[in-house]
Amino acid sequence: MWLVIPLPERLFSVKDAFIAGAIIAFFYILFTQELGYLTGAAEIVWWIAAIVWAVILFKKGFNYYRIMNSFGLSFLVIIGFIFLFFDLTLEFEGIPRALALFLTPLMTIAVIGYIHNKIALAKELKRRRKIKIPISKRVRTTLYKLDPIMIVFIVVGFSILIAFLLAPVFMMLLNCFNVPPGEPFYYNFVYIFTNAPYVKHYLLPSDVTWYTIIQSGNTTILLIKGVNYGVIVNSLINSTIVTAAATILGIIVAFVLARYDFPGKTIFRILAMVPLFITPFVNAYAVSILFGREGPISMLTQQLFGFKIWIKDLAGITLAQIMAFYPIVYLNAFSSFISIDPSMEEQAENLGSKGARLFFTVTLPLALPGIIAGSILVFIFSLEDLGAPIVFNYHYIMSYQIYSSFTSETGLVSPQIAALGFIMLFIAVLAFLAVRSFVSMRSYAMISRGGRWKPRVKKLGWKGKLFVYLVLLPLIIFTAMPQISVILLAFNIIPPYGFKIQLDKATAKYFIGIFTNPTYYPYIRNTLMYAAMAVVLATIISIIIAYSVSRTKMRILTPVMDTLATIPLAIPGLVIALGYYFFFSTFFRGTPLDPTSVTTFQAWIVLVIAYTIRKLPFVVRSVYAGFQQVHEALEEASLNLGASRTKTIFRIVLPMITTYIISGIIVGFIYITTEVSTSITIGGLNPAQAPMTFIMREFFYGGTVHGVQYVASMGVLLIIFQLIAVVIITVVLKQRYAFIGV
Amino acid sequence: MTRVRLENITKVYGSVIAVDRVTLEIESGELFTLLGPSGCGKTTTLRIIAGFEVPEEGKIYFDDEDVTFLKPYRRNTAMVFQNYALWPHMTVFDNIAYGLRIKKLPPEEIRRRVKWALELVKLEGLENRYPLQLSGGQQQRVALARALVVEPRVLLLDEPLSNLDAKLRIEMREEIKKLQRKLGITTVYVTHDQLEAMSISDRIAVMNKGKVLQYGPPRQVYFRPTSLFVADFLGRSNILYGKAGKYHDGYIDVYIPDLDATLTGVPVKEITSSNVAVVIRPEIARLVEKNQQVENKLTGKIDLAMFLGDKVELRVGVGKSSLIIYMSNLYEPAPGSEITFYFPKDSLIVLPAEKPLMKEQ
Repeated sequence: MWLVIPLPERLFSVKDAFIAGAIIAFFYILFTQELGYLTGAAEIVWWIAAIVWAVILFKKGFNYYRIMNSFGLSFLVIIGFIFLFFDLTLEFEGIPRALALFLTPLMTIAVIGYIHNKIALAKELKRRRKIKIPISKRVRTTLYKLDPIMIVFIVVGFSILIAFLLAPVFMMLLNCFNVPPGEPFYYNFVYIFTNAPYVKHYLLPSDVTWYTIIQSGNTTILLIKGVNYGVIVNSLINSTIVTAAATILGIIVAFVLARYDFPGKTIFRILAMVPLFITPFVNAYAVSILFGREGPISMLTQQLFGFKIWIKDLAGITLAQIMAFYPIVYLNAFSSFISIDPSMEEQAENLGSKGARLFFTVTLPLALPGIIAGSILVFIFSLEDLGAPIVFNYHYIMSYQIYSSFTSETGLVSPQIAALGFIMLFIAVLAFLAVRSFVSMRSYAMISRGGRWKPRVKKLGWKGKLFVYLVLLPLIIFTAMPQISVILLAFNIIPPYGFKIQLDKATAKYFIGIFTNPTYYPYIRNTLMYAAMAVVLATIISIIIAYSVSRTKMRILTPVMDTLATIPLAIPGLVIALGYYFFFSTFFRGTPLDPTSVTTFQAWIVLVIAYTIRKLPFVVRSVYAGFQQVHEALEEASLNLGASRTKTIFRIVLPMITTYIISGIIVGFIYITTEVSTSITIGGLNPAQAPMTFIMREFFYGGTVHGVQYVASMGVLLIIFQLIAVVIITVVLKQRYAFIGV
Repeated sequence: MTRVRLENITKVYGSVIAVDRVTLEIESGELFTLLGPSGCGKTTTLRIIAGFEVPEEGKIYFDDEDVTFLKPYRRNTAMVFQNYALWPHMTVFDNIAYGLRIKKLPPEEIRRRVKWALELVKLEGLENRYPLQLSGGQQQRVALARALVVEPRVLLLDEPLSNLDAKLRIEMREEIKKLQRKLGITTVYVTHDQLEAMSISDRIAVMNKGKVLQYGPPRQVYFRPTSLFVADFLGRSNILYGKAGKYHDGYIDVYIPDLDATLTGVPVKEITSSNVAVVIRPEIARLVEKNQQVENKLTGKIDLAMFLGDKVELRVGVGKSSLIIYMSNLYEPAPGSEITFYFPKDSLIVLPAEKPLMKEQ
């Protein structure tokens, strides 16, 4: 709700907050870093100064609305808090600390302003509430609107979410505080933050360079591998770079494809979709070949510049993730761009705005909520991605560390790993919630008159065409390379090691092999069975939850349920895996559901539950969209004619949303078959019951000569599934196949 | 046939009072209209009668049965929704038969009654169409048939004509009126269109800000509004503020400073303070000769004359105020010319001025 709260006459502006920050940061560097005063605990003086200054500015009439209404500033504040948190916990000093101090006045004002606003709003609402209705009467009216089946839905929905989402995550949290005797409860966190493998507090000279030049014989190799700052920092840096690069790339590609017309555009659009096909491990492997020592890129640079390029380790992970994840942003940005009412831009042009100015003042701000929603997914996917680290065999990243604890010889997960899981969860959920509130504040309902509009499409000029064909086309082809290579690998057109095209050796025997060879097909069967079971469960739960969320309007319960059903998106799969490990090994100790009982563990049950919960948001989202399409009057008309709520749901509502349910089922199925994190961790605890993705990883390093081809063949199978899904959803159901936003 | 009684109904959403202590009695078999601007609580009142909402305070009775907490599917009311709410996945026949199937009537009976309903709304032969294949007017008829076929105790119509174009609206208005007469079914009709309300209703309740301001037959509400809001909302009115003068034979004199004239009218409500308002309908003005002796005679300059087809609308500057009056469509004044007219005192309404004079007319 918007309320205008009278402001004091404006005396100070955002500039003053920045000046305050700059002065404090300057003196901080001068005294602490140069002169050596006020270090250690006494440093708190600077923080107090920054906060007090901010409070004074606010009291004297700082216009908080400038921060709230400005896109850049509010984003800066959110990023600032995340930065501040890590600056303090990771104990960065010097320039990063000065930067944090510089931002503190602005952030303090934002916080005070936010709280101030909330209090004023609450007071105003209280003032407006003229008549008092006793709580019992409010409860009575709320209960009246809940028919028995809705109460059942709410109770069942909450029970499932609490038992299989909250409880496992809570068990993981509990384990973070499982410390050796005599140590304080936060020992595990101290351990992580002070131990060099996790956070390096200083770098050796050899660590600092992110590339090296190797001379071997008469060839020069430029080896790019990135800097190791320790597990946690590596993860953060990697995910940040991946997110930023994917966002920029996604925006550019989406804008060009959404707004310009040029020969070959359809091919561009199809190629841009290719990286969306998920092929766990194999696509990262393809990247490692493409950028390997003897890969095609190396050959090219050798010819052109006389040196080879070899990308590995952290840099390889970053590259593979950018290529795999940028289409998520692209799809979101594309649909944002085409859903902008053209009259918005026409009005701006009408007033004399054009080109970059038009883009940055009107188009981008209107599309940004959708774009950011895609970016945050990329951030979370990157954070929890296991495929690239495993393929590049790089261990100094959070996801790999958590994963490797499952494969340790003892089979026991240590409390330090739980603490690491907690940090991962914290980063992901914090970023997710911050972005969600940020986006929802800025989602502009597009008010259109006269239904659908025709999107603005312009012909490209010759400069634009040069850009498209010389820059964009190679880029899009380049990002589609991994998936293409997967197919080539599967049919042995390129060999598993080294790089050459060998059309003469092309064969389908590996692809056929995965269905005939008893070493492979049980795992495919496992995956299909688990996915089928999980998708049925997820659909039922989704209907229950989506109906409750869209039709009951209770004050706290409804939003909480909504958030709980969406939050698995933000919870890294490894955290779910850890949570389930602790949950089942605590409450089901000694039963077949106990992951620590090596011989009897029934991994499939835990896997099906984990899949159901993890991929729930995708199904819920689709079903929820369906319920939203059904106007409530259509239900009321049925109630009005004497049908009970249950009858209404089954005879009116569900038949009307079948297409949404089917597309929810398809999307859920795709995400479950390609799931990696829980499959290779929980699944790994009983390999006989493991799904396809587990075996894909196994055979990669199984030492068999043709492992890679078989794995690539499974990748091809997954691509086929996804292709069928895309066709069904877009052609048969006439819906848009897209990643979902926050 | 059912009598509907609302007793002191109050509905609160969060901190907003949607319906404020509404008491109404709807006679059995009558067409009762709730009229008011959007957000006045008329739809909420209708939804409370249907059982989609439950009031925080008050009771609803169908005849003498307390239905306040009865679920909507047990009330046997039938509602026609603003957007018709036809189920797009069912044919016309299935839509209409739905309520009967819920009642588990034999198929033969269902077919007979659906046929009857379709004849009633003149849609024979469209049973197997889907709603999206029908025009707006046809959809409207299907919705009506679906409601009527279950023989409801009360028929509820929520702005049923607002999605139709102007011509069709008048046509359907007549038809609804005829149908309601024929079936004699107690009907509650919600609309914001005063013409619709007056033409169709046996009685009208005018609502504003959750309260029922006045209710009665259309003529009574139109000619004898008891509040300035009703006077202003139903038809057009010139509202002039002034000081109450003396009473004589049921009339009252009011001195209007803006006109610098004294008008005589009928006080429809007890006048307690000297601050009063005079309500003048534009159509009551009559032309007179300048020297003729009649009550409420005024002379002014025509500022604007607009030909509306069936009448001429004039803006006449009199003293400091500007009055709207209607003349016959044959009247062709020269702009800027003078005009003398009078208001018959029986048609002039005097009400207490509710608020300190809000704004200059």
